[in-house]
Amino acid sequence: MRPDLAGLRGQLEQIVGVERAVADGPTAIKFSVDGIASALVVQPGTQDEVSGVLAACAAADAAVVPWGGGAAMGLGNPPRRADVVMRLDRLDRVVEFDAANLCVTVEAGVKLAALQIALAQKRETLPLDPPADSKVTAGGLVAANLSGPSRLLYGTARDWVLGMRVALPSGERVHCGGKVIKNVSGYDMNKLFVGSLGTLGIITEVTFKLLPLPATRAAVVGLFPDLAPATEVVRRTLESVLLPEAMDLLDADAMTLVAPRLGLEAPAGACGLAVAVAGSRETVERQVRDFSAFFRGAGGRATPIPDGRSVLAWDTIRNVMGLLPAPLAGRVLCKIAVPIGRTGELFVSAGALGRRHGLPSAVTAHAGSGIIWACFLLGPAAPPDEAVADALESLRREAEDAEGSLVLQDAPARLKARVDAWGKPGDGFDVMKRLKAEFDPMGVCNPGRFLGGI
Amino acid sequence: MGAKSLVNELRQIVGKANVLDSTVDLQLYQYDAYLEERRPDAVVFVHSTDEVAGVVRVCNKYGVPFVPRGGGTNLSGGTIPSKGGVVLEMIRMNRILEVDRPNLRARVQPGLFNLELGTALAPLGYQYLPDPASQKAATLGGNVAENSGGPHCFKYGVTTNHVLGLTVVLPDGSVAKFGGKALDAPGYDLTGVFVGSEGTLGICTEVVVRIVRLAEGVKTMLAIYDSIEEGSQTVSAIVAAGMVPATLEMMDQLVIKAVEESIHCGLPLDCTTVLIIEVDGLKDDLDAQVQAIVDLCKTHGAREVRVAKDEAERASLWAGRRGAFGAVARIAPSYLVCDGTVPRTALPKVLRKVSEVSKKYNLMIPNVFHAGDGNLHPLILFDWRDPDQKARVMKAGMEILELCVEMGGTISGEHGVGLEKIDAMRLVFTEADIRSQVRVKQAFDRKNLANPGKMFPLPEGVHRAA
Repeated sequence: MRPDLAGLRGQLEQIVGVERAVADGPTAIKFSVDGIASALVVQPGTQDEVSGVLAACAAADAAVVPWGGGAAMGLGNPPRRADVVMRLDRLDRVVEFDAANLCVTVEAGVKLAALQIALAQKRETLPLDPPADSKVTAGGLVAANLSGPSRLLYGTARDWVLGMRVALPSGERVHCGGKVIKNVSGYDMNKLFVGSLGTLGIITEVTFKLLPLPATRAAVVGLFPDLAPATEVVRRTLESVLLPEAMDLLDADAMTLVAPRLGLEAPAGACGLAVAVAGSRETVERQVRDFSAFFRGAGGRATPIPDGRSVLAWDTIRNVMGLLPAPLAGRVLCKIAVPIGRTGELFVSAGALGRRHGLPSAVTAHAGSGIIWACFLLGPAAPPDEAVADALESLRREAEDAEGSLVLQDAPARLKARVDAWGKPGDGFDVMKRLKAEFDPMGVCNPGRFLGGI
Repeated sequence: MGAKSLVNELRQIVGKANVLDSTVDLQLYQYDAYLEERRPDAVVFVHSTDEVAGVVRVCNKYGVPFVPRGGGTNLSGGTIPSKGGVVLEMIRMNRILEVDRPNLRARVQPGLFNLELGTALAPLGYQYLPDPASQKAATLGGNVAENSGGPHCFKYGVTTNHVLGLTVVLPDGSVAKFGGKALDAPGYDLTGVFVGSEGTLGICTEVVVRIVRLAEGVKTMLAIYDSIEEGSQTVSAIVAAGMVPATLEMMDQLVIKAVEESIHCGLPLDCTTVLIIEVDGLKDDLDAQVQAIVDLCKTHGAREVRVAKDEAERASLWAGRRGAFGAVARIAPSYLVCDGTVPRTALPKVLRKVSEVSKKYNLMIPNVFHAGDGNLHPLILFDWRDPDQKARVMKAGMEILELCVEMGGTISGEHGVGLEKIDAMRLVFTEADIRSQVRVKQAFDRKNLANPGKMFPLPEGVHRAA
């Protein structure tokens, strides 16, 4: 049965105000997911309003798509249904910045880049660095479990969230965790919501643990004639006592995009390995020295990038996929996760897929974390979708054979119709379905976009 | 329900000798490191995932609760079979299945002692970071169940930050693998949900953990103070200076006295506080960090700062802290360890209030605390043979937890809710918060057989049967 959207609109207007509940065409289209536009777009301004809107939608059996900065809207399968887009960008308050206790509580719509600026004023930082951080919101970062190069040293959202507030479709507002580092009071509910993509409820507030800002940073970028010596350096680094913040591998295509922006001249076909180091002057200098020696010892060219320029350099590196052209037919961004030691193998396979099918591509990897990013451009010369789909499935099989996974982080809807965004659910899926049924029995929270149709 | 046939079926799975059901045997399994007791109906020694699954299926068939037990070191009653039923003794599943250096992982069985993993990894140049103080006797399965902490959490986090995959026997007896050696498995983070679930969501039979290289260098210091405030201020000053020590541990005067009388590690008996500080990492700046910290200690009133020159001196600086609980046990027949956590800057205030509680209830309360992360362990001393004392202890413990919550903290930092803090859950959670946790329980364990009667208070207005 179609929900009574006209009636619902009236209710939502009561909650958020007439001008914050929009039903006109252009806005709805702007906030469509995989080409599916919702009938209503609402923009609550407080956590109470989020809760009220969600409860009203649930009561009307209207499906709700939460929308933070829009950075991860390509993630997942097309929604099974979408009636109301809930924009969270007005929830942009820093609730409490407790610098002395190294934690900050923010509303879900606070932008990560803006938050970092506020934290830096007290010489603190949240060491999570996904691409597009000027767009990424705190809630989106957590709900979509976004990450970046520095996950090597610092981990991901699950390691930095101390607490959160969540609006449930039941109308309840719950809080998980708190603001202390050690907390075993009840289940670790934060973990349930991190990466749940809005399918269990809507995160309205997050408390993050923070770190003191390192005194100094630097980077070393290595250029290698081919991949083998670069992966050898990765292997040696992981066996060493060195503690790089980040260690990203870039194939020749990615390096070609990045090099000029770093002021480097990359010979044709050269691949890159970039490391970031941070800490005291002594440890940074030592690591720059050691990495430069590692790179040269393996036959590479090492360019140290000093403090002051290194942050900008890493900004370029982690956003490299954004430098690729955007063909009309779209692009596919895959995130492959495998055991660390298998990174090189899947990195090569991902690049080979592009070449074999005539798809311009770029491949990078967070080489110490087993995470490979592969972007394929579906230009005019691209093969038919079914061939692309087959190729992606075979790459996925390879990742799964290595005890890993391949997730479509972004892809045109017509391709998602052929390739599941997450792959086949494995063990534990029964429990996941039961969790979904417990928290969202009506199936109104972002239905269909998550694993196995959750 | 036919206890005899239950035991017979259990024996068919694990063999006759691996099921205990005599009263004398069962009495050995009716307690842990908390203060309550309840005898199980049977104890089963399990040796494999298949055996655990078989035992759990039999429990399902008979509708009997089951509780996994590792080292039995739990401080909140988590291992006590409070509703009877079957205790699964996990201690024989104690093998390191794999040390996978290229992937920086180890795969271990849950009955392995935490310290044994460390001992096996160290010669290879690696370590598993979580090291709860009970690591000699606490198992990794227990660490997973309790999301154990320890003295290094300020820098390195807790168990959940280092557990990446689990093989779990679910409460219906089916077996599932969550996570694994690779990161970011699609779907909900069931590994993360399971860690810290205190045996109420199933039994883990295999654990994949992250291993890391041993730090290139470690430096340990011990600062001696005449006031607890000065110690706390030093900790804040170190953090404010942008340093992240691996350890910031404090002990108060009563503990110092107990420790010194028991193991004679050279602590002055007239001081009020000692602070143990450890920094680790690349060796290049460790001396500079030590100097900066020593200066901060002195600026904030330390009367003396000792810096360990070698491994032997380091061990001796640690000896007092490691021996603290044991030393305190010499003062009185029993103690209740509180486990509140507060935002670090609230520590001095909470400690002042703890001493008020001590006077109010006429109980001795020495304090040991993880000053970096705000986790405090007041040890309320008493004689368990005196019911009046025990009642006062319970009240005092609750009052301390209330204080922690008032200060923006919580009721348990690392020891778990178990039986002890069921009622205290309401200090930090609303009914809706608790209901949301119960939803998780129901998704995993509809029949409520996995370690029932733990963690959750009954809904308001409903009372527990006596």
